[in-house]
Amino acid sequence: MLQGLYHPNTVDEAIALLAQDPQARPMAGGASLVAMLNAGVIEPAALVSLASIEEIKGISVMPDGRIRIGAFTRHRETAEYALPLGAAAAVRQAASLIANVTVRNMGTIGGAIAFADPGLDYPPALVASGAEVEIASPFARRVVPAREFFVDWYLTALEPGELVVAVVLPRPGEGAQGVYIKHARVAGDYATASVAACRLGDGSVSVAVGACGPIPIANDAANTLLSADRSGAAITEAGALLERQADPLDDVRGSAEYRRQLIPRLLLRAIRSLEATEGEKP
Amino acid sequence: MMSAKRQVTLTVNGSQSQVPAALHDTLLTVLRDQMQLTAAKRGCNQGVCGACTVVVDDRTVRACLSLAQNCEHASISTLEGLIEQAPMLALQRAFAHNGAFQCGFCTPGMLISANALLQQNPSPDAGAIRAALSGNLCRCTGYTKIVTAVQEAAAALHAKVVTP
Repeated sequence: MLQGLYHPNTVDEAIALLAQDPQARPMAGGASLVAMLNAGVIEPAALVSLASIEEIKGISVMPDGRIRIGAFTRHRETAEYALPLGAAAAVRQAASLIANVTVRNMGTIGGAIAFADPGLDYPPALVASGAEVEIASPFARRVVPAREFFVDWYLTALEPGELVVAVVLPRPGEGAQGVYIKHARVAGDYATASVAACRLGDGSVSVAVGACGPIPIANDAANTLLSADRSGAAITEAGALLERQADPLDDVRGSAEYRRQLIPRLLLRAIRSLEATEGEKP
Repeated sequence: MMSAKRQVTLTVNGSQSQVPAALHDTLLTVLRDQMQLTAAKRGCNQGVCGACTVVVDDRTVRACLSLAQNCEHASISTLEGLIEQAPMLALQRAFAHNGAFQCGFCTPGMLISANALLQQNPSPDAGAIRAALSGNLCRCTGYTKIVTAVQEAAAALHAKVVTP
């Protein structure tokens, strides 16, 4: 059994430590994990800090043009990324709307999506833009589409002992763009509901709804519809398809019924906002 | 869980000290209970209220969400250590002049966040100030006087009327 705080320098070292002791917990920015320690929700005897692993820090353009956000990249860095992101501009916008300046200085993209709070801003933006999640396991690395990464309430495709290593965004295609629309009670709160809308490199439209169920809601029929037709009637129909898939909570941020009503309205705003970016640089 | 404490070397306000900290002890706990640096306040202990905001390696962080053992190689500044800097002096005067507090519990966190804003953006408009302070909750003022105070501090710094 491990005891105390560990500072591995590589992903492989971190994976080996976690394999030694299944009770040890990996820690990225700490924004969620330390809050849970303070609340007494978890009491791990050992923590494996990922803060010294250089290979999972920062944002880089891959040789094939895709963009890799290391798991230990703070929300602030993603929000301030200055190069074109194409459809994944929605991911940058989502990062800029997380909590507040101070929490964006602390939280990381890998920590956030591994925690997979359904109210998070990243998941719908990652799903709509066609991002992938790179995962390290004791034996190999694997890549999972964002749409398959989020599985259920606070549950992801991560197996015990695995770590998120990076989020990989698609190559920013010509004309590709993305927007993220968040509805929250006050600035910095978790979303009551949110919608990400992207125009992908092939010109098709892809949307996803956040905070209205255990995982982001995406629907192929809705995407096909919106790719061909962005009239009010088409948006209403696509909104109804997405709403039918919703499984929202009744909570302090809004009733389930209120969230259902938000879906088509936020979708309309997202699609109109996406149209307004046409002709802009990705 | 009561895990064993170990000696942790922290660099706070420019000076190094050794303090005992258990694995789950936060930077806030150590600053307040071991080092008697009580400007940072324990409000929610969940990262929501902003009363514990301090500066670590030139960025504002929540001291309640930072583990003390994880801060060993960092440079930590609390309000006590920032007090002689020009923006902070201007902010203190402007907060006092405008009555930008009642109970004062949120004020240290507000000052740290406002100071970080003025270092990055010397002429923020009201919207930028509200955005920068959106992670600091105040239950007394209604925020208007705080926004006014930050604007007044920015103006004073421009006019160079602040001297230590």
